[in-house]
Amino acid sequence: MRWVDIKESFRDFLEEFKREKTGILGVILLIILVLIALTAPYTTIPNLPEKWRSSRYWEDNPKNVPPTWYNMLTSQKLVPQQVYYVNDLKITHISDTKTIIEANYIFPEGYILGPKGIMVRGFNVTTNAPFQVPVMNIYLLRPDGKRIPLLNNKQLNTGTVISIGRDSATLANVYIWLVNVTEGRELTMFEVPLDIILIKDIFATMFAKVEPGMNVDQIIESPEPLHGQYKLVMEINNPAPDQNQVVYDDLKVTFLGRSYGTMGTDYLGRDLWAGIIWGSRISLTIGILVSIISTLIGLVYGVTSAYLGGNVDELMMRINEIFASIPSLPILILIGATLGHVTLWVIVLLLVIFGWMGIARIARSMSLQIKEQTYIEAAKALGAGNSRIIFKHVLPQLLPYAFAVMALSVPGAVIAEASLSFLGIGDPTAVTWGQILNAAQEQAATTKGYWWWVLPPGLAIAIVGLTFVLIGTALDKILNPRLRRL
Amino acid sequence: MGYLKYLAFRIVNAIIVLLIVTFIISALFVKVAEKNNMARMHDEMTQWERTTGQNILKTRGQEAYEKAKAAHEEFLKRKYELNLPYWHKVYNKAIRTLKLDFGSTITPLFGTNNISKIITVALPRSILLFTTATIIVIIIGIFLGVRAARHAGSLFDRSLSVFALLTYSLPMWWTGMMFLLIFAYKFDLFPLSSMFDPQLTGWAHVKDVIWKLTLPVFTYVFVVFGGWAWTTRNIMISTLQEDFIMAARAKGLPERKIIYGHALRAAAPPIVTMVIFALLGSLGGAIISELVFNYPGMGRLYWVALQQNETNLLIGLTYFFTVLYLASVVLADMIYGFLDPRVKVGASTKM
Repeated sequence: MRWVDIKESFRDFLEEFKREKTGILGVILLIILVLIALTAPYTTIPNLPEKWRSSRYWEDNPKNVPPTWYNMLTSQKLVPQQVYYVNDLKITHISDTKTIIEANYIFPEGYILGPKGIMVRGFNVTTNAPFQVPVMNIYLLRPDGKRIPLLNNKQLNTGTVISIGRDSATLANVYIWLVNVTEGRELTMFEVPLDIILIKDIFATMFAKVEPGMNVDQIIESPEPLHGQYKLVMEINNPAPDQNQVVYDDLKVTFLGRSYGTMGTDYLGRDLWAGIIWGSRISLTIGILVSIISTLIGLVYGVTSAYLGGNVDELMMRINEIFASIPSLPILILIGATLGHVTLWVIVLLLVIFGWMGIARIARSMSLQIKEQTYIEAAKALGAGNSRIIFKHVLPQLLPYAFAVMALSVPGAVIAEASLSFLGIGDPTAVTWGQILNAAQEQAATTKGYWWWVLPPGLAIAIVGLTFVLIGTALDKILNPRLRRL
Repeated sequence: MGYLKYLAFRIVNAIIVLLIVTFIISALFVKVAEKNNMARMHDEMTQWERTTGQNILKTRGQEAYEKAKAAHEEFLKRKYELNLPYWHKVYNKAIRTLKLDFGSTITPLFGTNNISKIITVALPRSILLFTTATIIVIIIGIFLGVRAARHAGSLFDRSLSVFALLTYSLPMWWTGMMFLLIFAYKFDLFPLSSMFDPQLTGWAHVKDVIWKLTLPVFTYVFVVFGGWAWTTRNIMISTLQEDFIMAARAKGLPERKIIYGHALRAAAPPIVTMVIFALLGSLGGAIISELVFNYPGMGRLYWVALQQNETNLLIGLTYFFTVLYLASVVLADMIYGFLDPRVKVGASTKM
């Protein structure tokens, strides 16, 4: 077969492929997927795999909340995340020693609960006089004019993080305020029932109707939302402004949403959308690499076996059969578990070892037919060597089939990788769809109804699989005309 | 005679595979166990030095202590098999595995530490789930595939093809998670966990088992039957174009007889092989699905073994799984040989 022939037959093939609508759809999907995978650092968070496992990085995100667009489908709307940087805050320096920072938060009509918490971080404090550390008071002003004191005389240092809603001290203050408003009693810190603080969502009452005479337990159990404008006020007192300085440039105030981003968050507050986008890289790389390598190996193996024939053929087919009848998944699990740390390359290698047998068989039976053709005989008569005949005359004939097999073996490789990750065997430095689902399984996401955590990764796996199935079946249809629709 | 010879050949093949797998398993196991045993021996040795060793040192002096220490070390080495060369240990382990002696787990499961016993409790449950689902898939798949082949190009055929393509790329365990979310969490039709209720006996127990099997079986059937039907359809379409079908039609045979008597009979061997291998491929998915449903079979054991680092249990599971798998392969070969009269050792390998 000459190069010109290959080019010509390829052109014919392309013409025919263009007529297969499903194949074209597959190619379009593939291009989109590759683009998504390549642009992941720019469209989402750069260097996500390094951040994925550090729970500190995700501290400012709410945990286990659905995506924001879900609000369009339900009547019980959930507030989205709202972040304030230094430019969004109102900072007034009243005197040298006193600064007031205000964050305006609007709790719009139609939402059922207020934010899930408030995080304040990013103070930069230079302390030269350690006995006169700056202190801060925080309170929340509500639309009904009530004022909730949250923290008093909190010492400020560089790296101070204030998490209202997670920190029990602030929640206790909220409870004291609740009792004070409804019953008029003044509780001390020690009278606050700790179990209620820790289990119930006290934070939600800050954004709920609270009037004298109402029952505290009832408010906690079913808070009635109070919509309108809220103001979080931080009063910072710096008794020694000459020695100690507070810089607010990095200040970040977050009102944690009850919904988040495009795909919600998981149990650590991780942005699932970023995880899904980054996961496409691993999935595509592994799927494509495994299918290409195993197809090539299988092709060469099958052709060699058929060409050499006789006892060598018999032996090679026995080896093939033995590999084919090893149950791959349990062995993979076992190898993965005993190796400890499994890198992506090891997974590729393992999947290739258990993935080349099918194509080897097909290649062998096809080249047995080709072997009988007269032009092979002619080549032999001309004195062509074994490798020349195999690579020059037999393999090119099989290439189109090889592409079909390649495409059709991608879904299997993708699912196998995801299955291993799902069982907890995988590269711990990568973000993969299987690992996201593994975390979902460990945290019993299905029994808690966290659909945004379970649905997208599997759907992504299915889309990658479908892409290659579409391409593969289109190729198959062209190459096996008998299967075409009649 | 050809059939028996063929069968014997397949069985020998399966046994060779089993031996190789056992060997791989043992080699992996010994590698891991060596590290663990070294650590354990070290622990015991320091323990001994602190108690018995101290005693000997005090009462009988330095020399006796050294001697006793060496003796004890030797004893521990023999106990943990650290004195043997690597391949010798692999051989020993392989022999023990073939004898189904997997040792015991660290924490008891199903009320016992003996791994063979644990697996014999779980294995029938997995087989029950898998066979029930498979039988349903066979019936639905062949019926739909034949129908699609008869009306090739129709709306039914097209939708079946699309459905097959869609399910081909679905991970079975993920589908299970989704079904749990939809049917168990949202609509509350099925239990969230398929763990059997141990208090029930007799008829109530059977009812409980059926009730908890429904969703896992449904998941399996949903993911697998499309591919099967599609394969059947493709093979049937090729067969329906053969001359003997035309001859049968010309004879005026009823369509039903042509399809199920002539065409399906001729198409059976390739269908059986393709489908059995597809099924075996889905066995892995089925195993992982068990853990999603919390179904107390082999799959959940795998999960437990991985989570609690029970290497012994992992070995046992892999071994049993391999045996099960190879038994299915031999069964498939038997059916194939039975259906295809051309089967002889030589002829069959050349196909």
